[in-house]
Amino acid sequence: MRSTITRRTALRTGSALLAAPAIVERANAQSAFDWRRFRGERIEATVQLSPRGQLLQQSSKEFEDLTGIKLGLEVVPEQQHRQKTIVEFASGRPSFDVTEVSLHVNKRQVGKARWCADVKALIADPTLTAPDFDFADFGQGMVNYATQADGRMDTLPAFADYFILYYNKELLAARNIEVPKTWDEMFEAAQRLTDASKQVHGHVGRGLKNANVVLWSSYLLGTPQRDMIDANRQLITDTPDAVWAGETYRKFLRDASPPGSIGFNWNECQTTFMQGRAAMWLDGIGFAAPLEDRNRSRVAGKVGYAVVPRGPGPNHHCALFGAGYGIPEASRKKGPAWLFIQWALGKPMQLRMLAEGRGVPARASPFRNEEAIGRSTFPRDFFQSLEASSKIARAGLPEIVPVTQFRDVIGTALTNTISGADVAAELKRATSEFRPVLEQSERES
Amino acid sequence: MRRARRLLERLGFGFAVLVLVSPAVLVFLWMLSLSLKTELDNTAWPPVFVPAPPTLDNYREVFARNDFLLYAWNSVVVSVSATLLALAVGVPAGYGIAKMQAMRAAALILVARITPGLSYLIPLFLLFQWLELTGTLFPIVVTHLVITVPIVVWVMISFFEGLPGELEEAALVDGATIWQAFRHVALPLARPGITVATILAFIFSWNNFVFAMVLAGRETRTLPVAVNNMLTFEQISWGPLSAAALLVTLPVLLLTLLAQKQIVAGLTAGGVKGA
Amino acid sequence: MSGGAAALPVPATAAAARRRRNYARRYALFIVPAAAVVVAVILFPWAFTLYVSAFDWRLGGERRWVGLANYAALFSDARFGWAMLRTLLYTVLAVVFPLLFGLAAALAFHRRFPLRGLARAVFILPMMATPVAVALVWTMMFHPQLGVLNWLLTTAGLPPSMWVYSASTVIPTLVLVEVWHWTPLVMLLLLGGLAALPVDPYEAAKIDGATPWQAFRHVTLPLLMPFIVVALIIRTIDALKAFDTIYVITQGGPGSASETINIFLYLQAFAFYNMGYASAVVVVFFAIIMALAALLLWTRQRVRLT
Repeated sequence: MRSTITRRTALRTGSALLAAPAIVERANAQSAFDWRRFRGERIEATVQLSPRGQLLQQSSKEFEDLTGIKLGLEVVPEQQHRQKTIVEFASGRPSFDVTEVSLHVNKRQVGKARWCADVKALIADPTLTAPDFDFADFGQGMVNYATQADGRMDTLPAFADYFILYYNKELLAARNIEVPKTWDEMFEAAQRLTDASKQVHGHVGRGLKNANVVLWSSYLLGTPQRDMIDANRQLITDTPDAVWAGETYRKFLRDASPPGSIGFNWNECQTTFMQGRAAMWLDGIGFAAPLEDRNRSRVAGKVGYAVVPRGPGPNHHCALFGAGYGIPEASRKKGPAWLFIQWALGKPMQLRMLAEGRGVPARASPFRNEEAIGRSTFPRDFFQSLEASSKIARAGLPEIVPVTQFRDVIGTALTNTISGADVAAELKRATSEFRPVLEQSERES
Repeated sequence: MRRARRLLERLGFGFAVLVLVSPAVLVFLWMLSLSLKTELDNTAWPPVFVPAPPTLDNYREVFARNDFLLYAWNSVVVSVSATLLALAVGVPAGYGIAKMQAMRAAALILVARITPGLSYLIPLFLLFQWLELTGTLFPIVVTHLVITVPIVVWVMISFFEGLPGELEEAALVDGATIWQAFRHVALPLARPGITVATILAFIFSWNNFVFAMVLAGRETRTLPVAVNNMLTFEQISWGPLSAAALLVTLPVLLLTLLAQKQIVAGLTAGGVKGA
Repeated sequence: MSGGAAALPVPATAAAARRRRNYARRYALFIVPAAAVVVAVILFPWAFTLYVSAFDWRLGGERRWVGLANYAALFSDARFGWAMLRTLLYTVLAVVFPLLFGLAAALAFHRRFPLRGLARAVFILPMMATPVAVALVWTMMFHPQLGVLNWLLTTAGLPPSMWVYSASTVIPTLVLVEVWHWTPLVMLLLLGGLAALPVDPYEAAKIDGATPWQAFRHVTLPLLMPFIVVALIIRTIDALKAFDTIYVITQGGPGSASETINIFLYLQAFAFYNMGYASAVVVVFFAIIMALAALLLWTRQRVRLT
């Protein structure tokens, strides 16, 4: 059980270092805010299975000790989590008092149905909100991301996820290749790095439909057009810029990636990259932790981190995804639930999330904690890429209700291009297939 | 010459049997191997076949990361209840259908088996939500009846049909009620059939994934769902995954190995075609 | 449908038949509990599904009555058409191969040989194994660069396969898993059939000097036919409904190369939350399975009569 021991040791050092409970206790003493006012109550929370979710799972005892509230925490794989929460919300009687909401997938759906309570009212209530909660600490970008079009903020932003460039330092150094700054440079580098005889490829990336849309959108974000819907909420996924992004996608996946990429999701990509069989990989920030885990990764300590390359346009963005924690309108335990969110997204937990490489906190203060960052086992360039990415992050998926269907339809088109289909024709077909779905969903709002 | 030919034939036959059983053996052995190796060995190329040295870390992680014992208990409760309930209603039904040649009733029960499992999920979820039964094992047991009842009924129909009717008729002539004839004459004769029906119903209920996937909550998860939940976003772990997979399958595999004679004998004797 | 190898006693006259029916009716009480349970569990879902299939309803959105529009849309949905074709292809493959291998295995296990019990037990293990658990292990074995299967292929001097990572090999690969899983069931059913075969025809064939192949072709196969048809029916229903393995291994991918009706249904209901449309899919899907099952049953009756 070496891996857990390392994790546990890291955790212990982390908490000793940050003295998380102590800080909270002191804050309590100063403000006399009563964390235990709901003691004896019982709440249910449901989050997705991820390094963030596991952090909560491992420390849930701290919450119970702090508040005296009994916490039932359910941790489910993301796909099942989305299904379950949506079906439960729709039934009118969700079984949970707090849930994670994937903003890039379910924000508008949850917002339109008004399933979650506005947390602004809770923040404004001094009897319910600890004085050191410090809402201003949440980055403006994330606050906007969690705010609905009608101004309600029905989830408190929890963490962001940026696409960054992972590269294998050894492989790049062996060929004397600089970290690419543009997509063209990256493609050229990927081709030079490919050595089919050794089964090493210059690039690995998501080819599986649905999952692959976010890679395509990373290219699209570098064009003048950037987004997938325009200001009038019309689909613009078959424009010259979209086609350019599609051509780039096809180029990378077909000419510089391992065979079989057409069925690769993040896990196959990760396995390949971890084995040192791919030199560059563009994906979410959360994969840094397993890549640096010596018990499972052959490239631990050799991974370089960089901001995504630039496109042909004047804009430079990395794709942004993220999640917030919300309280169902139907919950009868909004008070205790809000205490849970304050704890789960409080400064100490958010700092741990960052220092342990578990994700990008929604708060700004962890990034300024030089001491904790200095002690982190993660390399400097990881934190630098994070900070640089946070300044150029832009939503990687359109803010519409039928996001999953969008990803399915566009994703199928992209997958088809890897097998040789014409990019422009595929995107045209996919766009016309999805347009009526979007129009209908917009009419309903 | 003749002896040599016979020997050759035997060798050929032995080889054929080996070919028949090897896919099963190899897959389970590979599962075992994955579950006993470190993550580095599990993704190594060329593959490492024999764990050196074997490690139990993967199993420890399975128990550390999950409330595995609770899920195992849930699985036991669900499968046992669904099997017992199915036996209670299914054995008499199989008898009745065999006696009446009631093919319409048989077809009705078959409908439960033919309906795609997915289509039950949302309506039943809403129904149980409305009845405030979600969060208990009850909904899962109820849905598992859709699997177990048809199995039991179908196995029992063929079994009772295969039994000679004379003994019961003699009992009826002696003044027994049809219930007594069933209870004291047919039922004891059908014991091998009931054994098979029990085993098959239990195993198919144990293995079911779809129903619990949607209907189970944090405390009511069954083992197949728990295994699928080992797939963490952002981290793959082949070792713990295989360990969990093996732990889930192990009880039914052992059951099969122990009861194979009864399974084969029961199925063969009744000429069953309903599983 | 009831299965016994013994053919039903044929009533001599209409009156006898009526008497028999009256007599049999007394057994109705035996069936009531099971029928009640089944109806109780499936009635509400069925009523709900039929009702919802007449609405345009996305979870979280409004519900709008559209009559039969969902069905009309379904029949002009090319994606559904492809899913249907794929399901048929998958079903044919996942029925034929288990039947062939299952027949061969049943013939082998029908003979007596040392360790037969153990070999038979090992052979039926796959059908007892938890599909989800095994599917996860198969996924690891299929990895094109690091999976053990490609290592075996390349070591044997064969070109590596893309397995489930290519549109052209994904269906055969999924069928492979299905064959692995369900051949044992077919074997068991046919083994039961072999055990029930009468001995006389064989002796007659032997006297006539038939070769083993002729005996198999002209004696065993025809006698075994009712059992083969039953295996065919069960396999067809199960293959049409296959979900767990495909869901865990490919979720219908790459692209939509392995998107069967059941996966299509899953996407509509649980990914797109398109409840009305998904309900229409259920109804049509059910009708298809029923039609095929009825066709096979009819075949069985004919086989039995001849």
